[in-house]
Amino acid sequence: MASESMNEIERFQDGNARFLSHNKTTFQIDRREELHNKFFSFLGRSFLLGVTTISSLAVLFIFFFILRDSILFFQQRDIREFFFSTQWFPSRDPSEFGAGAIFWGSFLVTAGACAFAIPIGIMTAVCLSDILPFSARQILKPLIEILAAIPSVAYGFFALVVIAPLLQERGGQVLSYLIWLLGAPLAIFFLIIGEMSADKLFPKAKTAANFIITGALILLEFLVLYTLSRHIFLFKISSGTNALNASFILGIMILPTIVSVSEDALQSIGRELREGSYALGATRAETLLLVVIPAASPGILSAVILGIMRAVGETMVVWMASGNSAKIPDPCFNFFEPIRTLTATIAGDMGEADHVSGSMRYHVLFAMAACMLIISFSLNIASEWIMKRTRKKVTGE
Amino acid sequence: MNLAGRKLLDKAFTILGMLSSGFLVIAIIILLTPIFMKGIGAFVFRATIEYRKMELDLFERGDREELEKEIKQAESARSPLFEKLKNFKEGISNFPPAEKKRLSESFHDFEMCLRELLGPFPGESVPELPRNKYGATRWDQALIKLKSVLYKEEYDYTNPSKMGQKIMKPRSKEFAGTSLENLFPYLEQNMEKILQPKFVFYRQFLTDASKDAHFFGGIGPEVIGTIYLTLGAIVFAVPMGILTAIYLTEYSRQNWYTSILRTLISTLSGVPSVVFGLFGLAFFINSIHVSQSKSVIAGSLTLALLILPTIVRSSEEAILAVPKTYREAALSLGASPWKMIVSVLLPAALPGILTGIIISMGRAAGETAPIIFTAAVSLGEAPKLLDIFSQPTPALSWNIYNLATEHQKVDQIRHVQYGMVFSLIMIVLSLNCLAIMLRSRFVKKLKG
Repeated sequence: MASESMNEIERFQDGNARFLSHNKTTFQIDRREELHNKFFSFLGRSFLLGVTTISSLAVLFIFFFILRDSILFFQQRDIREFFFSTQWFPSRDPSEFGAGAIFWGSFLVTAGACAFAIPIGIMTAVCLSDILPFSARQILKPLIEILAAIPSVAYGFFALVVIAPLLQERGGQVLSYLIWLLGAPLAIFFLIIGEMSADKLFPKAKTAANFIITGALILLEFLVLYTLSRHIFLFKISSGTNALNASFILGIMILPTIVSVSEDALQSIGRELREGSYALGATRAETLLLVVIPAASPGILSAVILGIMRAVGETMVVWMASGNSAKIPDPCFNFFEPIRTLTATIAGDMGEADHVSGSMRYHVLFAMAACMLIISFSLNIASEWIMKRTRKKVTGE
Repeated sequence: MNLAGRKLLDKAFTILGMLSSGFLVIAIIILLTPIFMKGIGAFVFRATIEYRKMELDLFERGDREELEKEIKQAESARSPLFEKLKNFKEGISNFPPAEKKRLSESFHDFEMCLRELLGPFPGESVPELPRNKYGATRWDQALIKLKSVLYKEEYDYTNPSKMGQKIMKPRSKEFAGTSLENLFPYLEQNMEKILQPKFVFYRQFLTDASKDAHFFGGIGPEVIGTIYLTLGAIVFAVPMGILTAIYLTEYSRQNWYTSILRTLISTLSGVPSVVFGLFGLAFFINSIHVSQSKSVIAGSLTLALLILPTIVRSSEEAILAVPKTYREAALSLGASPWKMIVSVLLPAALPGILTGIIISMGRAAGETAPIIFTAAVSLGEAPKLLDIFSQPTPALSWNIYNLATEHQKVDQIRHVQYGMVFSLIMIVLSLNCLAIMLRSRFVKKLKG
């Protein structure tokens, strides 16, 4: 055993010596070789720089080619007609390209998606970073990743095959359940309002006043909910593929973006701020609402912007679920009517437009793409700027 | 506000947070349950005798002798039915003219429905299209078709203020007093004997070609097309992405040029997917003529651009996560920077880089909008490996859209649509699970 290890050591020393003697030759610096090395390292460096430049130039290429084809449209057609007219008849002779209704459709769907995804997304992010125990977080995070990974065409299929028939056949029923679902959590706020007003108005008989006021408020709320849902129960939706369906699914699609980016922002605030607030006697809700969320607000804002970007650019869901009718609903914020968005128009009309020679119908789609490109570019710049500013602020402190 | 109120507010806030997290979980469950349940139905289902006939004819699977035995059994159950139909047809001229006209019209309608359930009647010429050659091949569809045989769908417009109300009118009433009347209960009671359903596991669904516009067969061409497009995108995007990441992390200095490069790459990640599709059409096909028209290669290039920012960003993160000591150790041993990158940095960062690649593979497989104008066709075979430079291909994501919206008989091929969505989601999710596992190993490895 001992001799074996001795052998080992000897072999090692032997090898080491050989290694050193071998290297002695290479340590002598050869001028030619040095030049050689320098040349190759310069070559490799510029090759890497070239590849990097190419992959960054891709976006400029996209801008160039989309804008080039869209300028042909703007040269020949009235820009005001494109943005403000709602007469969209691309195949009629003479054709009319008023995309006002389509712009409105995109706006409506995005607004609808944001209206419910932003509050839920931010609340979930807060919950993930500060409220939930570690084990629950460990389950919820992969779930959010799954939600983000599901392809958009699968969401669209779900909207078309499951939600649309449900809305069409039992629209009123579904809506009245939704009203209960959204309205019932409001009772929590009435508890707080009751508590606060009892405190202020009747400081002498607090408990009794609190009980009466809260009870009355909650009773009132449930009455309102009941009558509302009774009325809506009989409501009929003429088409299951409408703005509501599209914005609901879009909202679910943008949730993962909002949740993960705002959770990162909330996490980056750090323990010191939270602990300082707790030390001053604040409850968790107060700490979160008055200290942590304001401090993380730039990050949350950029999460919201990223969510909006994803909603504006999403194609398959709105194409399958929005009904594709290029007119402004009546009244204009009516979510129960089919609408049409920019992305769905591009995807749907390209099949009919003349690809090769480039008809006006082909160029109008590029004009729409250019508008979307500009919207998403400016949103991207805005979110980058917000991020950069906060980074400076954080590191500056 | 007193302490109790503040505590209440605290609790309310917690509950609200829990509710929104709960909403997220419920959304996933509601979304995935029907897709999984019905998607599995494309693989495992009760197949009727018509299905076995079809399998033997179109795919040459199954035992011919056994099938013939079964066909005999089924025919013995069917023969009273056809007997009655024949008798009725012959006896129809005995009715008074007005009655005769009404009856022959209803009979024609009824026969059509029955043909959909049982296939062409014995003695009739065999139709051209496979979809008309066989009756209901799946038991669940057979039950739906049985309903249309037993009941006639009508709309009641008597109340002008309402929309038409759907009424299911039993056909047996139409044929009341004729020899056909007792056919309906016979059919309803002997469905199992007539169609002989058996559970099958159709594992070739993923590899079979589709027959007659997805009425029969599987989704083989779509799966192959998706694999082509995904791998093609990876082949183009990965070398570029990794080299870009190496330059940005190891070589670049903090100057205006690098910051512009970074901004451009992050802008690329914000471009809407449909715009990528338009760009692919305008640039790869119409400007530099990668191919004459849609082709796999054009689609792959477009998808490669789409996933490039993801790969760059994840590779950058992985390379930056390698501890500085690794670099310093390698350099102090006399390695050149490039040698250090290739032999020390990249192997250490490899799991992280792979994670990014796998996630973007999932994204490339699921994207639809970029391939609509550049690569996807709705029908046909997947091209051979050498034809990918000139031929378009069907792909899962595009065919889901196409079958769900533009197929002639959308309701009859729901199982194929669900099967496709299920397969696509399974591909993407298994890739993502792989990525999550890799990432956790990477983190462990770097922590030591």
